[in-house]
Amino acid sequence: MYGMVAIYYVMIVNILYFSIIGLSFRNIWTIARRAKYSSYNTLAGSELVPAVSLLVPAYNEELTIIENVNCLMTLNYPTFEVIVINDGSSDKTMDVLIAEYELHKIPNPDMSGTIETNTVRDVYHNPDYPQLFLIDKENGGKADSLNAGINLSHYPLVSSIDADSLLEKDALIRMARMYMENPEETVAIGGDVRIANGCLIENGAVHNISLPRKIWPMFQSIEYLKAFLGGRIGWSHMNGLVIVSGAFGLFRKDSIIDVGGYRGGYPGEDMNIIIKLHRHMLKNKIPYRVAFCPEAVCWTQAPDTYGILANQRKRWGRGNMKNMIENRGMLFNPRYKVMGLITMPYNVLFETLNPYFRITGLLALGGYALLDMTHWKILLVFFMLNFFSGYLLSVGALVLEEIAFKRYKKPSDLFKMLLYSALKFVGYHQLGVLWRVQGHIQYLQKNNSWGAMTRQSWNDESETA
Amino acid sequence: MPQSVIVQQEYRTDVYHNLAERVKEASKDSCGVMFLYCSDQPPQMESRLREILQYEPGLEFEIVPDSQTDTLAIMLPGHTLAAAHYQALLIKHHLQETMNQVDPRITLTVFPGQVDPMPATLKQMAESAKLSVSSDIQIFTKPEALKDPGRILIVDHDDTIREFLRIRLHLQGYETLEALDGKAALELIEKWEPDVVLTEFHLYGIDGLPFIRQIQKLLLAQTPKIVVLTGQRVDQTISQCFKNGIEDYVTKPFSPVELDARIRRCFN
Repeated sequence: MYGMVAIYYVMIVNILYFSIIGLSFRNIWTIARRAKYSSYNTLAGSELVPAVSLLVPAYNEELTIIENVNCLMTLNYPTFEVIVINDGSSDKTMDVLIAEYELHKIPNPDMSGTIETNTVRDVYHNPDYPQLFLIDKENGGKADSLNAGINLSHYPLVSSIDADSLLEKDALIRMARMYMENPEETVAIGGDVRIANGCLIENGAVHNISLPRKIWPMFQSIEYLKAFLGGRIGWSHMNGLVIVSGAFGLFRKDSIIDVGGYRGGYPGEDMNIIIKLHRHMLKNKIPYRVAFCPEAVCWTQAPDTYGILANQRKRWGRGNMKNMIENRGMLFNPRYKVMGLITMPYNVLFETLNPYFRITGLLALGGYALLDMTHWKILLVFFMLNFFSGYLLSVGALVLEEIAFKRYKKPSDLFKMLLYSALKFVGYHQLGVLWRVQGHIQYLQKNNSWGAMTRQSWNDESETA
Repeated sequence: MPQSVIVQQEYRTDVYHNLAERVKEASKDSCGVMFLYCSDQPPQMESRLREILQYEPGLEFEIVPDSQTDTLAIMLPGHTLAAAHYQALLIKHHLQETMNQVDPRITLTVFPGQVDPMPATLKQMAESAKLSVSSDIQIFTKPEALKDPGRILIVDHDDTIREFLRIRLHLQGYETLEALDGKAALELIEKWEPDVVLTEFHLYGIDGLPFIRQIQKLLLAQTPKIVVLTGQRVDQTISQCFKNGIEDYVTKPFSPVELDARIRRCFN
């Protein structure tokens, strides 16, 4: 009876979710303590902290790029460089950067890396801004841009940062602290991504943190909180992270080069690089860890209209599908330990295929009820249980946030989050399922466009906030 | 009897009062004032002095005898301290060459424009000239009387550090203003023109070397001296800062006494 399968499926999903959030709760106290008591200021001036190359791929980012680069150049970190990679933008991204920082072409740039990329036209620099480099290359996608950045980078660690994101001043040093705990084994660290819509942005820093006012970003705020605090802390505890967000992650450069750099051609390159790292390390039996650093916060601009959000989610669905199919060999393969036995099966069964189980399960149960094979009350109880477990997970993530970070100070914001956590199950959740299916359809149709991702200026954002 | 004493005292101060008035009239901008005293009082002193000074082409001067201390006050309108000092050396040299057995004692100062010369200061100078035991020219520079207190702009994101520095620098008589981030600091520097910018290396908005370069690019009468006070301790950064012409670099945690000394050095 298929209905039973659906019920078992839901049960297993929930058990998994709750175990993961349980692990998050186990770790949150340590995280809260180290976020509060580590002396980041002393560390941020130390010669012993490894140098980092920040890679900022930029495609048509003329509105936000200056604010973003200013933010990165004023990070509280001892030694770092900012490499902006202009991926053949069709707008004025190049011009605004060159004008703002008075950049000049370097005659013979030293691109010491060996990863294949599209043609790099020029590298720009200004000695007045010694940490800033600008690569101008032909359009080749985000992965290709990151590879070009790696080729130019001068330091042993690289960090990928989205051009529409702003880092907190201490974000990078917090990550470096985690890296320095275990520099031998750490190959990648992910940061906590939060939604900046609704916050006031000034001088490249986020002030007056508050929740977005529009509903699409609002739902995403809760979604991100749940995914990052509820999910990734737990997954990283058992070294089973499948993704380090492209918006903000730190990597060991030699490891990235070992696995051949980022893969182009498809979205989801951030998940892909992590799977490749896991695969490489486990295959060669090298001890390693992929960590998550929730106290390193990156604020990103969430899509605030239906169309853009839908595009983004379809793209994610497509990337996820591609990554799972590409790495199907890891599924249930004991050689890949936690990755092969838990993370990958979880991702295939409960993330990639989730929409189909949901839709078919719903149809089956609905059908049984109509045919009077199941009592409608049982069905109702089932739905209620489903809803409450989901709601409990959201609330759990909120509690984690309140234990360790307390970024949202206003009590009204907390109530708003509790309310929207419930509203999320009416409509937004179902749309998520729909978008994922549409993404899969696009994948099968081999439609590989990036989709429109229009940006708003940070300034406009702060005015409306 | 008491009445005559009062009259005499009034008369005494009046000499310097008049002198002060004349210094003020003589020049809108800086004016050098010199008091000359010779122990055995050669009678032709004043005329000799006029001769010497008239030899200098285009030199504006005025000589006022001060009968109170038997000194001669010489005013040199439009002179900087260095120029006035040069004239004093010339006078001393000429007198020693042309007259036998003279041992001139000279005190010298320069009043900047818009500052009223205080009669008390002039009186003190006249008396010092008479009482001086050394033949060296004595230069009067009273910083608090002649110059504004030093202006220091404190730039740091940390409230505690700013408060500490503000109180400490105030106690030492400096004028201070504060800025929280690089952009606000740049605006303040342009408006307020501080003598010294005491700044953290890591700031919001704009920081580090670009911030230092921006300060130096501002079109100001005098580029402020930059003292970096920071937790950043990477050698390469420190050397880059010095290469870009900063005055000093102090790392946090810092010794307040050391910082005082380094700031004092910026004003000398």
